[in-house]
Amino acid sequence: MSFESFLFVLTGGVVLGALYALMAAGLAVVWTTLGIFNFSHGAFVALGAYIGWQVGNVDGFALGHVLGLSATVLGMFALGILFQQMFIRPFERKENIVAATVITTLAGATVLQNGMLLIWGPRSKQISGIGEGSLNIGPLAFSWNEVALIVLVAFILGAVGWFLSRTRTGRSMRAVSQNRQAAELMGLNVPLLYALAFGLSAAMAGVAGYFVGSVRFINPTMGADPLMKALIVVIFGGIARFTSPIYAALIVGLVESFTTFYLGLYWAPAVLFAMMMIVLTIKPAGLFGTHQRTL
Amino acid sequence: MRYDPPFHRTNGLIPAVLFVLVLAVVPFVFDGSYIRHLIILSLVFAIVAASWDLSFGFGGLLNFAHVALFAVGIYTYGILAKTYGVNPWLAILLAGPAAMVFASIMVLPVLRLDGMYVILVTIAFSQIIYQGVISQSDITGGTSGMVTLPMLQIDGYRFVKDGKIGYYYTALALMVVCVGSIYLITRSALGRAIIALRDNKYYAMSRGVSEWRTRLATLALSAFFAGIAGGFYGSYVRVASPDIFGIGSLTLVLSILLVGGLATLWGPVIAAFVIILLSESLGWMGAWRDIIIALMIVAVMVFYPGGLWGVIQELRETFATLRAALMVRMRRRFERAKREGMLGLREEMVETKHGLIAVADTGASHTHTGPPILLLHGNSACKEAFQNQFAHFRDRHRVIAFDLPGHGASDNGDPEETYNVIAYADIAEEILTQKGITNPIVLGWSLGGYNALELTARNPQAYAGVVTTGTAPLNMAPDDFAKGHDAKSHLILAGKQYLTGAEATTFASHATVPKSEKSAFLHRNLRRTDGRARFYMITKLTVVDWPRHMRMLREGQIPVAVMNGHDDPFLNHDYIAGLQYGMIWKGRTTDIPNGKHAPFFNEPEAFNAALEAFIDWAAEARAEGD
Repeated sequence: MSFESFLFVLTGGVVLGALYALMAAGLAVVWTTLGIFNFSHGAFVALGAYIGWQVGNVDGFALGHVLGLSATVLGMFALGILFQQMFIRPFERKENIVAATVITTLAGATVLQNGMLLIWGPRSKQISGIGEGSLNIGPLAFSWNEVALIVLVAFILGAVGWFLSRTRTGRSMRAVSQNRQAAELMGLNVPLLYALAFGLSAAMAGVAGYFVGSVRFINPTMGADPLMKALIVVIFGGIARFTSPIYAALIVGLVESFTTFYLGLYWAPAVLFAMMMIVLTIKPAGLFGTHQRTL
Repeated sequence: MRYDPPFHRTNGLIPAVLFVLVLAVVPFVFDGSYIRHLIILSLVFAIVAASWDLSFGFGGLLNFAHVALFAVGIYTYGILAKTYGVNPWLAILLAGPAAMVFASIMVLPVLRLDGMYVILVTIAFSQIIYQGVISQSDITGGTSGMVTLPMLQIDGYRFVKDGKIGYYYTALALMVVCVGSIYLITRSALGRAIIALRDNKYYAMSRGVSEWRTRLATLALSAFFAGIAGGFYGSYVRVASPDIFGIGSLTLVLSILLVGGLATLWGPVIAAFVIILLSESLGWMGAWRDIIIALMIVAVMVFYPGGLWGVIQELRETFATLRAALMVRMRRRFERAKREGMLGLREEMVETKHGLIAVADTGASHTHTGPPILLLHGNSACKEAFQNQFAHFRDRHRVIAFDLPGHGASDNGDPEETYNVIAYADIAEEILTQKGITNPIVLGWSLGGYNALELTARNPQAYAGVVTTGTAPLNMAPDDFAKGHDAKSHLILAGKQYLTGAEATTFASHATVPKSEKSAFLHRNLRRTDGRARFYMITKLTVVDWPRHMRMLREGQIPVAVMNGHDDPFLNHDYIAGLQYGMIWKGRTTDIPNGKHAPFFNEPEAFNAALEAFIDWAAEARAEGD
């Protein structure tokens, strides 16, 4: 393998890692606060991409990237809250919430996917790149689209991290995730915080979808593969801190990139899943994790 | 070992046999192979869902690799039967062990994890299998899968030529065998260990249940049936496609399981038919079909968390309640004369706050020299059980008895309000007040004994004495209930809502005597009694203030006689004799030889003589005490 192809694989890994980080962080926000795994996260990714395409792209309303991305964020935030009220709220206090929400979020994903199929049809769409040309830093070559993606992801993750650790609402959210009863006794509005957490997670998925839509084709099931990767990331890194899925995402992105190059397309996912199972068996709380539910 | 009847003695037998019979005649009634195709699919998915129920529902393991193990079965069939030319029947059989091997590999991570992590690791495991399948295209056909797998045939008779009749009956037989085996597993020692680990892991382990061995067995057995189903499915659709790993089939099987009801086994079997037929009949709606089905599944989860099985139970209770209401009307209309003949008394209906109560009262008379006697009958019995007491005591005492609500000719009650010991004592109090009876002797039999203790303990000075027969007084429920009774007996039936014919006969024979001309009316009571009266009474035992009863007995607040049959099959005599009594007749409990659980009925002479002696003694004891 030449040095150039090594660098090519490396940049590919970083871009993948950034996307996975955005998805995994969104999954982790819901997991840690509500204590459930959201299987419709992949459908959220696709829905975010469709909304962005509809508003921003020339074949849609042609309002440009800024408005397209804003519509994705706001639309997915609202839809996320609606989704949570419909599919998760009724089971919040039930004993079997974990199993029940697996089926309801899967059902929700079915509803969303078929809804997208009905609205936008089966034909694949694509969001035009955010920038054209490429940026060369020494031997490293990033397209401007990838640069924008990495910068925006870093910015969004930084902003969400700041929100969770510095603002009153964000801290309340972490408090709820640590101890619901105590948080309720302190007068926190738990249903509202749950809704906000879910909306935030959906918005992050939507943004991830917007970016995926600019590098791959948009179709209702486009989120399935990134969801599986995000699942690996979340388990691999653990959810002890908000930053742990981010590091793990980079590792997973790089591993995927390199195994794809060396072992071929089909083997990469198997290696990742095997890696995840080994981590889970040896250190169930994840690579960076302590066995505690918090943000 | 608690009472646990074999399947052919349970209420499930007739519905199960009917279900299989209906399926067996469907091909003769409905022509066309399409309906047979749908039923074959339903049968296969019924096996998949029922075997998943073993690990997911009974074992509480959130094992999401089950559909992948089903796929392992399909691919095993494909590879063995097509690539290696193994006999298709043998290939189906080997698909089970193949899935078991994969499931056993999964045990290690599953053992170390809990709850959500089990879901994730099993999903990851199924993804690994999926990736393995699509990467090994030489063996598995990769993303395009394997096609034209060998069909089943017997002795040259090819199953594809007969409009799916052969496949239909093979699937039916397979379903019966697999679901039957899973049923037997859930009731075996292993099954109880699986359930115990789910309900209380550490307690089960401290009782000697090996966690890893049981978990391994759970996953392996559940995988075995999924693998067999997969092998058959492969032989039927004759395609092994990696699509089966997709989220669609997971959602399908999971919704069958959850809509049917977790840990019910029969629920998923029924739900398989409902969901498959429903999703086929909505096929013309395109994308709307999946949306509608998904929303329906969520609606079932919200409004019927118990699933279809819960709905069936509700329907059954509604039906049983209607039937009980009908039986009261029949009894009132047609059998009144017979009842009045037994007691030699007119029956009257008394309005109480718990509904109309059938009362037999001799009324006041100048010949009455002793105190009135109130007789309280037991669970699933009636006031006519005391016919010998009426005959013996009516000359010298005013005797009164009534049917409990839900029993005899009395109204059925609101189960939450009426079917408990406190409400029964309220009714007795109300009837005594309405009839103007004061200072009676209260005799209670079995459940009636608890009612008698509850009634007298409220105001011991207002009663001349209390007699219990066939009753174990409690200090706390349910602990003492277990101590005071023989755990090996059929007492568990006393709280069972629906009794089978055999169970009704068994319980009546133990509670009174084996069926004879004389005791036939007591046996008939089992069918009349509102099943909810049994169930709610037992579950509400904990709401009674039991220490108050014990205090009354211990402190001698009232003259007491404890007259039990010497050979009572339900009672633990040592427990009852060992309690403290402050003012008990003869200073100890009284044994009636050959009395069984109903000594007043089985040995009326001895019982009546003892009761008479007690009544005289009670009057003296009261006089001394005051």
